[in-house]
Amino acid sequence: MAGRSEFSASARGVSNCSTQSYLCRGDSHVFPSSPVLKARINEMDWQGQKHAEMLMQIFLVFSAVAAFGAGYLMHDFRLMMLIYAGGVVLTALVTVPNWPYFNRHPLKWLDPSEAEKHPKPQVSNITSSSSSKKKASKNK
Amino acid sequence: MHSAVQRANTAATIAAILLATICAAASFLDAFNSPSLQAHVQVVKINRFRRQLDGNDEVKMTLKMSMDLTSLFTWNTKQVFVFLAAEYETDTNSLNQVSLWDHIVQEKERASFQVKVPTKYPLIDQGTNLRGKKVGLVLHWHIMPISGRMIQGKMPLSNFSLPDSYTTRS
Repeated sequence: MAGRSEFSASARGVSNCSTQSYLCRGDSHVFPSSPVLKARINEMDWQGQKHAEMLMQIFLVFSAVAAFGAGYLMHDFRLMMLIYAGGVVLTALVTVPNWPYFNRHPLKWLDPSEAEKHPKPQVSNITSSSSSKKKASKNK
Repeated sequence: MHSAVQRANTAATIAAILLATICAAASFLDAFNSPSLQAHVQVVKINRFRRQLDGNDEVKMTLKMSMDLTSLFTWNTKQVFVFLAAEYETDTNSLNQVSLWDHIVQEKERASFQVKVPTKYPLIDQGTNLRGKKVGLVLHWHIMPISGRMIQGKMPLSNFSLPDSYTTRS
């Protein structure tokens, strides 16, 4: 019964996300047991993404500057390339995967039972026939 | 930045841009290198001076050269290509340049040397103008960097005069 109500809610296209961003698709309110959401459990949150982007830029610029400085001082072009490659690999390891450190302020999604109590408000149309058709389909 | 793949794409793009930046910076610093090289060349003897069957003059000679190219090398240098050109003037051409000998120097440690060699390539004229001609020897070099544009330079060295008649009959 609980599963059927979930699927019917997603078919109606009810969104319970307050921000209405592109993340809030029809399946985003499904319980974590669904395989669709398991892949999205380990995402970064918004603050984590900003933090990761800042870390990426700082790491890359720093490794470029350090590589150039070391190569210039040691008169070795190959050394510069090696240090820069190491810096890029380190940046990729720290920034790209979804580490839990970037998920310290996770978003709190609304409960499905709570969403059903507050249906999405209807948008009023110009022609009455199309609006009546829409109301009939939505109030299944 | 939402998924790991997008972050990987962003990291790769920024890394490529920064790589281009540091290579351009390394090449840019090359322009401040003012080389001061020494070179000396001397014609030991003219081995053969003849007129070829198709009508052109040909000279083969032995050269004694000493040069020090170490100041051309920077940390951004891959190799230096150096060649010796004979320059002279004729009635039809205001400047003729013929390469007599060239060498590739790949390491700074081997950039200073002395050699006594016959010319790698004979001096072949477009015509028969070489008898008694005053020829100038100019050392040219091309510095090929690891990243950046090639730098060229030249330095005129000593002159010499060819004999008035052929040393061997063709």
